[in-house]
Amino acid sequence: MNVAIIFILHGLVYAGLLFLVSSGLTLVFGMMNVLNFAHASFYMLAAYFSYSLLRWTGNFWLCLLLCPFLLFVIGALIERFLLRKVHVFGHLHELLLTFGIAFIISEVVKWVWGTAPLPIQIGGFLDGNVTVFGVIYPTYRFFVLFCSILIGLLMGFLLLKTRMGITVRSAVDDSEMVNALGVNTPRVFMLVFALGAALSGLAGVISGPLLSINTGMATAILVDAFVVIVIGGFGSLIGAVIASLMIGQLQSFGVLLFPKISLALIYLLMAIVLIVKPSGLFGEKK
Amino acid sequence: MKRDSKTIQILGLIILFVLVLLPLVARPYVINLLTEMIIFSLYAVSYNLLLGFGGLLSFGHGMFLGLGAFTAGAMLQRVPVLPFFGAIFLGTLVATVVGLGVGCLLLRQKGSYYALLTLAFNALFYAVAIKWHAVTGGDDGLPVKRPSLNLGLVQLPMSDVTVFYYVTLIVIGCAVLFCWYFTRTAMGKTVLLLRENEERMQFIGYNPAVSRMILFTLTAFFAGLAGSFYALFFKFVGVDAISIDMTTTALLMTFIGGTKNFFGPVLGAGFYIYFQNFLSNLTDRWPLFMGILFVLMVLFVPQGLSGLIQSLVGLFQKKEKGKVVGKNNQPMDGE
Repeated sequence: MNVAIIFILHGLVYAGLLFLVSSGLTLVFGMMNVLNFAHASFYMLAAYFSYSLLRWTGNFWLCLLLCPFLLFVIGALIERFLLRKVHVFGHLHELLLTFGIAFIISEVVKWVWGTAPLPIQIGGFLDGNVTVFGVIYPTYRFFVLFCSILIGLLMGFLLLKTRMGITVRSAVDDSEMVNALGVNTPRVFMLVFALGAALSGLAGVISGPLLSINTGMATAILVDAFVVIVIGGFGSLIGAVIASLMIGQLQSFGVLLFPKISLALIYLLMAIVLIVKPSGLFGEKK
Repeated sequence: MKRDSKTIQILGLIILFVLVLLPLVARPYVINLLTEMIIFSLYAVSYNLLLGFGGLLSFGHGMFLGLGAFTAGAMLQRVPVLPFFGAIFLGTLVATVVGLGVGCLLLRQKGSYYALLTLAFNALFYAVAIKWHAVTGGDDGLPVKRPSLNLGLVQLPMSDVTVFYYVTLIVIGCAVLFCWYFTRTAMGKTVLLLRENEERMQFIGYNPAVSRMILFTLTAFFAGLAGSFYALFFKFVGVDAISIDMTTTALLMTFIGGTKNFFGPVLGAGFYIYFQNFLSNLTDRWPLFMGILFVLMVLFVPQGLSGLIQSLVGLFQKKEKGKVVGKNNQPMDGE
């Protein structure tokens, strides 16, 4: 029983991370129709930033604030000066561009920080353990879970209750129409792209002490995030939430129950969803 | 138009001539480099059948190269008497069969879904290759021995660089030519038209899903063939042969060479291998420069090297024609 609780918690924590990464990805795809291959690179970049910043200042909370902000700026610059330039050539070129950027970021990371995995140590009260439901569990994992739930709620509030959120949601549905109604859609695109990058960056920072920081972390989470948005349906935030939870539990229990084929399980789930409902669980057929 | 095809024919003959005669004078290092270029040419050309002709962005091409390479390598290790072409046949066969299976699952997909699903399949096969230590050697990789080629009367020593080069040139050259022939057949034209206007093709009575599947299987076949040669050429197969990076290589080669022209990827593969060799002598960070080059090309030269050459030639011809006929006449090569 205790084992089950631990693995459910593991799954929830990973689902939280996955949600932070895939929510930006799915919104950007819904709006701009661009599959952003560089999205997980933002995640990796932020993790490495936080490593350096932590060694420099020793303050984890500073990393938590500063790294997502840095990624916000980087995301905005990439959208404004690179992505917008190739928009006229069509979606394929935009995809290829983000792919090239991902490639460059991963090479730069290898150059600057080397290829060896980096350990990250945070002091303070987050380092300990707490006892919940009769099991001892690291405080830090609860912190990750708490962060992702907080961000998820905040995002839900912004998207559902504010004017900005309404604009974003309608741009996901039909960006041309929104543009015709007098909204500066390129600016909305830039903002959402940058916010997505910042969220991905936040996920990167908090994943650092949880998983190890290494050069393969971007590809690993990118494939999972892609599976999440395929299962949840492109452009659907609630789909991203549900699919993240599913993948999180599947990963966690897959390792426990079927260690040999645990890697293949999520692809199996994806294949099943695609056969039953090709547009994803919450996706609309376009 | 007529003059154009004549120029291409002459150019092709010259290149063939050079390729055939070069080993007589070149150093083994250069011959090896050329062999690698030829193998990757087929890989890039088959990728471009999907990307350039079918308009389908696939992120799963590396798995077919990897499947071909691993099958050929593993079979040679298990069955010591397996002949040279037996290994190549098996490698190609497995890649084709998997291509058919995956193609069936991808039937209705295109666009971003297609890219994602192929990526997921590639990740799946990569995971299998790492885990299945008994066959693939896992992270250690798989050493491959190159059997000699038995032609009945003569035994060709495949360990010889030049002999292997000629065999590669003949087999892979024929495969590339077949790809070119394919684009001229009715089936090839169907694929091209599907890219342009799928709805209309459906109205006429074609089944786009089936055409796409046939195309996918065909490209898997050629990638598997290239993969078998890859294993025999390097005498080693590592897990990076089946990784996403291998797919990336195909994409980079194809895009750098140009997707609009059939022989663009050949140019791209040659350029990529040469540039990689050139850069890796100077710096360990060569993928970074390759990435920067790729992004710059996406931004400024989206038509690729072959497109660049074509427009330069077009510019030159326009000038010449302008002198003779007058500038009101449009040049014909715009077609």
